[in-house]
Amino acid sequence: MAGQTPGMFGSSRNVAVNSTLQNEAKSDFSDKQTLLAVLQFLKKNNLKGTEDLLKREAGIKDDDVIPQTAPPSETDVSHALAAYKSADDPSLYMDHYTDLKNFIESCLDVHKVELSMVLYPVFVHMYLELVYNEHERHAIIFFQKFSIEQEDYYQDDLNQLSTVTKKEHMKGNQLMENFKGSRFVIKMSRDSYNHLKRHLQEKKMKPLLNIIQEHLFIDVFDGVPRSKQQIQATSGAVLGENERDANKAKVFYGLLKEPEINMPVEEEEESVEVTDKSKKKKVKKDPLLTKKAKNDPHAPQLNRIPLPEMKDNDKLEKITAYREALRRVKVGRDHPPTICFYTMLNSYKGVTSLDIAEDSSLMAAGFADSTIRVFSMTPQPLRCMKIASSLEGIDKEADDVLERMMDDRTASDSKLLLGHSGPVYAARFSRDRKYLISSSEDGTVRLWSLFTWTNLVCYKGHNHPVWDVEFSPYGHYFVSVGQDRVARLWSTDHHQPLRMFAGHLSDVDCVKFHPNSNYVVTGSSDRTIRLWDILNGNCVRLLTGHKGSVQVLAFTPDGRFLASAGVDCMVLLWDIASGTLLAQMKGHTETVYSLCFGRDGAALASGGLDCSVKLWDIARVIQEIDTEADISIPSSVNVNDNPKLLLESYSTKATPVLALHFTRRNLLIASGPAQIPESTKT
Amino acid sequence: MAEKEHKEIKIGSHIPAESVKVVAESVGIAGLPDDAATQLAEDCTYRLKQVVQDAIKFMHHGKRKKLSTADFDNALRSKNIEPLYGFQSKDHIPFRFASGGGRELHFTEEKELDLQDVINTPLPKVPLDLSLKAHWLCIEGVQPTVPENPPPASKDQQQKEILDTSVKTVIDKQQKPRPILEQPTKTKHKHKGITDLAKVKDLSTHELSVEQQLYYKEITEACVGPDESRRSEALQSLATDPGLHQMLPRFSTFISEGVKINVVQNNLALLIYLMRMVKSLMDNQTLYLEKYLHEFIPAVSTCIVSKQLCIRPDVDNHWALRDFAARLMGQMCKIFSTSTNNIQARITKTFNLALTNERAALATQYGAVAGLGEMGSEVIKSFLLPHVKDLGDRIKTVTDGVVLNPADKIAAENIKKLIAKYLPPVLKILKGSSVPVEDYNTEFGYFGPLIHAAVGRERKPSGNQASQIAKAAMSQGRPQVYIQQSPQAINTGQGRPLSGGIRTPTTPILQGGQPKTPSTPGQQKIVIMSSQPRQSTPQAEKSVNISSSNNSQTVVKVVGSSSQGISVPGQRTSTTPKIVVMSMPQGSGSNQSPSVNNLSQDLGVRSVFNDQSASNIKKENENG
Repeated sequence: MAGQTPGMFGSSRNVAVNSTLQNEAKSDFSDKQTLLAVLQFLKKNNLKGTEDLLKREAGIKDDDVIPQTAPPSETDVSHALAAYKSADDPSLYMDHYTDLKNFIESCLDVHKVELSMVLYPVFVHMYLELVYNEHERHAIIFFQKFSIEQEDYYQDDLNQLSTVTKKEHMKGNQLMENFKGSRFVIKMSRDSYNHLKRHLQEKKMKPLLNIIQEHLFIDVFDGVPRSKQQIQATSGAVLGENERDANKAKVFYGLLKEPEINMPVEEEEESVEVTDKSKKKKVKKDPLLTKKAKNDPHAPQLNRIPLPEMKDNDKLEKITAYREALRRVKVGRDHPPTICFYTMLNSYKGVTSLDIAEDSSLMAAGFADSTIRVFSMTPQPLRCMKIASSLEGIDKEADDVLERMMDDRTASDSKLLLGHSGPVYAARFSRDRKYLISSSEDGTVRLWSLFTWTNLVCYKGHNHPVWDVEFSPYGHYFVSVGQDRVARLWSTDHHQPLRMFAGHLSDVDCVKFHPNSNYVVTGSSDRTIRLWDILNGNCVRLLTGHKGSVQVLAFTPDGRFLASAGVDCMVLLWDIASGTLLAQMKGHTETVYSLCFGRDGAALASGGLDCSVKLWDIARVIQEIDTEADISIPSSVNVNDNPKLLLESYSTKATPVLALHFTRRNLLIASGPAQIPESTKT
Repeated sequence: MAEKEHKEIKIGSHIPAESVKVVAESVGIAGLPDDAATQLAEDCTYRLKQVVQDAIKFMHHGKRKKLSTADFDNALRSKNIEPLYGFQSKDHIPFRFASGGGRELHFTEEKELDLQDVINTPLPKVPLDLSLKAHWLCIEGVQPTVPENPPPASKDQQQKEILDTSVKTVIDKQQKPRPILEQPTKTKHKHKGITDLAKVKDLSTHELSVEQQLYYKEITEACVGPDESRRSEALQSLATDPGLHQMLPRFSTFISEGVKINVVQNNLALLIYLMRMVKSLMDNQTLYLEKYLHEFIPAVSTCIVSKQLCIRPDVDNHWALRDFAARLMGQMCKIFSTSTNNIQARITKTFNLALTNERAALATQYGAVAGLGEMGSEVIKSFLLPHVKDLGDRIKTVTDGVVLNPADKIAAENIKKLIAKYLPPVLKILKGSSVPVEDYNTEFGYFGPLIHAAVGRERKPSGNQASQIAKAAMSQGRPQVYIQQSPQAINTGQGRPLSGGIRTPTTPILQGGQPKTPSTPGQQKIVIMSSQPRQSTPQAEKSVNISSSNNSQTVVKVVGSSSQGISVPGQRTSTTPKIVVMSMPQGSGSNQSPSVNNLSQDLGVRSVFNDQSASNIKKENENG
């Protein structure tokens, strides 16, 4: 035991058990086959008396024979579904399921919770087998009887499942293919697993054995069984939890080291512009540069993925960012936030996306009527660049060339971008605010110039609606996700995607770049979150625990932690380093659509359809992380769900919160469309 | 069949095979076999559900809670199916339900549009353009009480507060930044439990912030002050502003004390102002008044049934106040009466007592009739109708009696009008159209013919409309209507020059000689004000200050520079520059002097009720 890793031990035993189960099942199966064959023979030859006698003796009911006689019609159904083919007596399923339930009920409480995880996948697969073998009546009765007992968070899937009552319907059903194509993963302690194994061996229930062998993957770990709360925290995904090895790969979650050349340039600039530089410089070291001074072992190599070179403009931008950061206020437990709310009036219920630029100067809104609007949130109006002929006359060496090339006659508070032909589900700024990237129901991603306010490129690749798109924090790259269950990484200068990240089992609803631009995280309707490595396209983290589709993601500024939220109204906090769930923050009553970490990472703001902005105490979660816990043993990991993590809740009158953004000085900006016309009057 | 039933129970909705057949026929396939229809129906159901489930994704990404037809179209499109055109609707489509012949049907109503109408209707207004509006949702953790933010305590919370005082502390806490004592602990298991347990119960505070005190002062001053425009602003503020609940106890005390004092003083105008405050508070959607009804209800019922509300009951229009208060009371009963507090029953009893009391003043009985009349038809039926005869007898003795008491006569006339107003709608339903006058006479005695005629008018379709219009007019300008028609109240107005060249409306001389009421012509003043504009009367300011800051002595008289203060009637002489402001009956005085006009506007004493201010001004001017 001591020398062996628990993982190897568990999996090897797993295989052994499965093979023994299989043998026993086979003998049971062939027995029955013979009996049924004899019965059929008797029936064919009209030997009614003998037939009845045999039936009574063997304890077989009338309808058992039917599946044998019915001609198999799977020729026209896709062959892939053949996994569900089974010649078993449909009424057996119900008995077996009840038996399994009773067994679990009779177990010790410690094991009961873990074992009851088996029930849901067994239920689903039994139902599907019934449907596949065209026992519609049995299937419906079976479903009615047991679907109510399943966990709440599976009811969505069950609703989808309940629509499938015919074999023909199974083909092409997404959920069905997921269940068929992959195994449902359950983590279980060794003790519980042995219990289950013994029971199955004793009872020899064939359909049950088949299902457990073929469609379930039981990941056995050594240690005490998990508590109900622990299990519930990470369950909920379409296909159970993540496998043990899913989160083993190393993730470089650290921030990129700032390029060396940046420093002297910056200080020169500083000495030119700031008079009392000595004072400033001392403080300046503090807020953002501490990390960069030493070499962070968790940071990826600078050239791990090629990034565009920094331009002078970017450096200037960085300097202003630092300056602003100096004047940052704290937001956290003892420092309540100041929130400025931008209400969008007269939007006629059509706002589908909102984004605020990193420096809080611009806001982009996408609408259901295919338009995009960009608003200026500063007194500075939005202007077009002058036309080419007049640009030629400008002295390119002038200091204020950027100012000179703009046409003041076109100044306005907001600009309209037309080009999409479906609701715009995302519109996001690049970090340098030169570009805007947008995605829409029409399956295209469009790149817009914020100098000319025109569409530059239309990226076609997704054939289905594109739910989300985001620019890399270093520009150049962007990533888009959509209904086609794939995330695509693009660079602005290629019309083909550079990477495709496939693995989600349902729509990919949201996407976010890691602050170091080396990773991309996606949230999906299969209720999982995946972290992808841009370098090789591998999925390096699979996070399960959401009970509804994931609608929004956010990284802490230091890149270590990830927050996610969605339809299940929960905000979850994850540790990227280990892939564990740290905290579960409950309080919202409707779908959460926006998340934002404070610039110092101490607080998290969340908002959604329940018209409130909530503030969560992230500093506390991080403080309370149990560093001694062994991550390899799931039962030793605890999830922080202290209700005190909720610091404050501020509600609006009737405006859902669709965008949240902390300015560089940690002022929180929230925005959303006013819903009720009455509220706009006042 | 059993199968089908099972399915319907579980899956909930299902396309029937008959529908498939109908659709098949409509596309030219006649005689679809039953089996095929069932098969198709089941498949359709399945496909539809698939599309709906896809549509939900579009709803989620559209950031809405409601599925729209556009979502469904998008879902169809993503499945490569041509979407349905012509079913665009942003709102939900209301399904109508119809049943008959054992069939139940849900359908959407489609009105046939006449194209001519569509063309001829003027173009709708261009919708407002999109705009961004910024406000502070919170400042360092405190939500400012601006109209953009929700009220600090919701109505539900206020309601809960009645039952549970700890809610109050929660509400109060929301307004103040919390004192944060709890320090995070590094070793998480040891101290966490303790800090969570040691929850000190907060004491609720009743202090108002400086801003709130200022607001309270401003509002109460404006509400009872002379400036009508300020008053309407204040009342508007009371009716709409969120976050007043903390000041509600003060306001209710102010009103209740104010009524107590002004009833004794017979200060009609101020009583009316106070009632308008009650009305505004009731209109405020964010306030939950139930806790303060014990103060509001006595105040309001006083204004309905009090024996005397003004100094000269024969001329002053206290009827309007009674009507207004009665309407308020009706509204209160409608909103707050529950089976536990029995407000309506208790108030009805009070009115009934007043009505049946033989010795009660006619004015009180008027109030009782008005109060009962506003309670609704059931109350009228069971409480008002049985007493109409007795009341009629009494009125008869008054009107026909030799003792000519003008005040009583006016009261009798007004009661008659009330009876004619409240009873017919009820009697119209209660009695057949062919009931002769005699029946009415036996049942209602003196009022018989009057009611009969009124019921007859009510019945006539054209008369019905007319009476409705009349009613509408009455509800707007009721006080005038009554007084203009009272023949007894003929008076003459005489201008009397005063120092400073300001004329005051003088006391009207009554035809019927000395009234029995203790008031004498010289003392008939209702609101006493200085002749100077409001801004320059520090004394007036002062007296109000006292009243608003100290609840125990809520004297809301605005006293002018005459330094008379609150004086006992009779001490005053007619030489002091006081202005009597009231809406006068139509008199013969036609000489309108501009100075009076100006004065009344300066002082803002034009009107008592908002919606009748215009006519009131006219009247006063005429009187002046």
